[in-house]
Amino acid sequence: MPRKYQLSIRTIFIRKIILVWFCLSATCAWTRVLLRWTLPSVPPAATTGIGDLVVSWEASDLIRKAHDQGYRVYAEIQIHNAANMPRNKIRNELAGLILNPGDSQQSQIDNALRELRSAYKELPLLVLDTKAKQPQMKGQLVIKKDGVLQVSSPTAQPWIDSNLALMRFDQALRPAQTPLYEFKWQSGASEQPQDPDIQDYLLAIAEAGAFHADLILDLSQKFQSDLLQHNQAAWDALNQLKRYLDFFRRIAAKNLKAEANIGVIADTHQNSYEPVNLLARHNIQFAILEPSDLSPQTFQKFGILVFFAMPDERNAKAIADFASKGGTVVLADSHGSYPWHSAPSAPTSDHAVSYSVGKGRIIELSEPVIDPETFAQDVRRLMEKDKVLISLWNALTTIAVPYRVSDGPEKIVELVNYAEDPLQVQVQIKGFFSSIRYETPERDCCESLTSVQRDGFTEFVIPSLRIAGRVYLAGKSNTVSPAGR
Amino acid sequence: MRWNKRLGAVLICASASAFIGLASVQAYESQNSFVYKKKYVMGTIFEIATYAETPAQGSNGIDQAFREIVRLDDLMSDYKDESALSRLNRSVHLQPESVPDDLYRVIDESLYYSRLSDGKFDITVRPLVNLWKAANRGGRAPSLIDQEKLRACVGYQTVELLPPNRIKLRSSCLQIDLGAIGKGYALDRAAVVLRSCGISRALLNAGGSTILAMGAPPGQAAWPVDLRDPSNSLHPQVRLRDNSISTSEQTPPSLLSKEVTGHIIDPANGLPLKTDFAVSVIAKTATASDALSTTLLLLGPEKGQELVKIVPDMAAIWISADGRSEMASSGPQILLPNAHQGLTRSFTARPNDIH
Repeated sequence: MPRKYQLSIRTIFIRKIILVWFCLSATCAWTRVLLRWTLPSVPPAATTGIGDLVVSWEASDLIRKAHDQGYRVYAEIQIHNAANMPRNKIRNELAGLILNPGDSQQSQIDNALRELRSAYKELPLLVLDTKAKQPQMKGQLVIKKDGVLQVSSPTAQPWIDSNLALMRFDQALRPAQTPLYEFKWQSGASEQPQDPDIQDYLLAIAEAGAFHADLILDLSQKFQSDLLQHNQAAWDALNQLKRYLDFFRRIAAKNLKAEANIGVIADTHQNSYEPVNLLARHNIQFAILEPSDLSPQTFQKFGILVFFAMPDERNAKAIADFASKGGTVVLADSHGSYPWHSAPSAPTSDHAVSYSVGKGRIIELSEPVIDPETFAQDVRRLMEKDKVLISLWNALTTIAVPYRVSDGPEKIVELVNYAEDPLQVQVQIKGFFSSIRYETPERDCCESLTSVQRDGFTEFVIPSLRIAGRVYLAGKSNTVSPAGR
Repeated sequence: MRWNKRLGAVLICASASAFIGLASVQAYESQNSFVYKKKYVMGTIFEIATYAETPAQGSNGIDQAFREIVRLDDLMSDYKDESALSRLNRSVHLQPESVPDDLYRVIDESLYYSRLSDGKFDITVRPLVNLWKAANRGGRAPSLIDQEKLRACVGYQTVELLPPNRIKLRSSCLQIDLGAIGKGYALDRAAVVLRSCGISRALLNAGGSTILAMGAPPGQAAWPVDLRDPSNSLHPQVRLRDNSISTSEQTPPSLLSKEVTGHIIDPANGLPLKTDFAVSVIAKTATASDALSTTLLLLGPEKGQELVKIVPDMAAIWISADGRSEMASSGPQILLPNAHQGLTRSFTARPNDIH
């Protein structure tokens, strides 16, 4: 085994131990949206109906005020301040600490976590992922430096910015903590920075909720100020926002597991992030696995494995075993020497060779994935038709995430429409379900949808998906109900 | 009346503008309020940016323009079962069917481009497109028998227009697909709506594949638009003003399989087009640029240049991934800041070339 690889596994193992230790008390079973407040005053929690606020560590007066107003206050600490934190300052006012690591290396983050843990032993400690993007349907018109509106590099592909891939990486690489992320609002094509509108806030909440991640949501200063000045439009917007928060809180008590039939093996974002991002965008259901976690048992639930990490000897054996039983394996940027190289092979493209191994095959791509869009479509084509978990039509701006309920036959599908405009979406999902019920934050649970069963799949049409929607699927004798109903 | 719905849209917009006190047509010079919106429709992202007298005027105009695009999608979509096009495709063929005015008009224009290109542009190629799409999903090439059978269903000559609004499909298996022209037509209609709202400066973008410019930004002579460059070396650019640009290219080759083919099918032989060129076409209307970009991709640079000669106010550039390029123009200029001598061949039509 190459020394570099051994070091990598050891480092990952140590990091995992550290993270489990530091973040154990911070784990949370459901999505939380923490609102970031920056103005010096804050309305009482009893009137906003919001529980959690994030306030800068440096704004100690605001932390006290927010606490006095009834909020659970999380103090956000920039990593460069972590080492100099005064011990036990305003401890009683805090519900937790959030470390903003900026662009720091993992070793620096580990050190900062140690410092914080030693200063604030009992407080939950969360690490923020700052690499997320504003979820949105993206256009192509941009303002250049000279102020002229311009279209850049036209292509035919509509585009959405989604954080699903990032969340899946976080879930795999920081398993002890529910992913917690933030993003900065973008100004789009406009020359002037624009405040987000309510739809943008709702989409952000919908995305975090659907992906079962935690989000720090920046409220614009104008929104905060309007709330303080009792502006009715702002309070109406806040009520809409709360409706979305409640919508995702409803599902909190359920033990849901994201479904996946493709295993993506990666140890870093490098070289793999964009291909994984495109898998997510094409509604291909995948799970990210670390190379150190692999075994033949790990692979059992998958039909396809995609390796972005170089397999070691142990993993090479597991790969060969998986393929021999009928699985398909794709190795990106593959240059090693492997046992299956003695098997019958044939070039399948200019840069790919396919090896027949038992009932399955192993495809080696000799270069990194240079066209992630094409690669994602290739992976979808590799899937046998009867193994596709979910397909959507008329839904290029929609991401659907199917979850299995407590390992039982029932499923829940969370849907997010980045176009923020009502869509009629056709869905085909693997399995037979006679009870299909649909709910949205805007309408109370639940509308029964008619379905058709065909070739091992259930098909139905979602009448109107604006931003967030949820489908409960169950067999004849079962129904899946929102918690607490 | 042929254009009653268009007139309706115009009237709605005019009254809405009047209602909010914005219907001043004298003040075009003061159109500096920038408004930008986007909307997912026709399976892609439409964007409209305007410079209007006030934000309210720009916003209202864009909303009305999007409504027009949605209305046209409801007529021309082949995904929507209840669209006028789907009903026409499902109708009993071989007898005349009445269709909405806009559908009649866009099919009429399509047939013009089919005749102009001697059938390279053909809205009846859908059965073959579907055949190859299904083959790509299954990973196997369709049989020659299947191909021959479906080729018999293709041919723009079997679409007969019976003015003012009836269409007869003279083949029992004919299917019409407006995917290669519909978005351009929708942009032209959206521009009419914007004008009716008093907006004269706007850039309309249908998913990046077709862009229509109305007027120019304040203080500028035109809207600069970067063109598709698969080689990433030439960085071509055009300056659009009251004209349109469309880009077509074949689906990139699969990374893992030789069996997967592209989405553009040549009606002449029923096979997926093999080309490594992307083509960008400038024309007076978005309908024209949309239709002609697919056509010029299918024709290739050599024959394509001949077509450019006979269409006024048109230009085209073909660029391959390895940096080869060919240009032709009967008017508009394509700027190539990074072109090297001898790398790019260009052709400019003389006035007497234009028929």
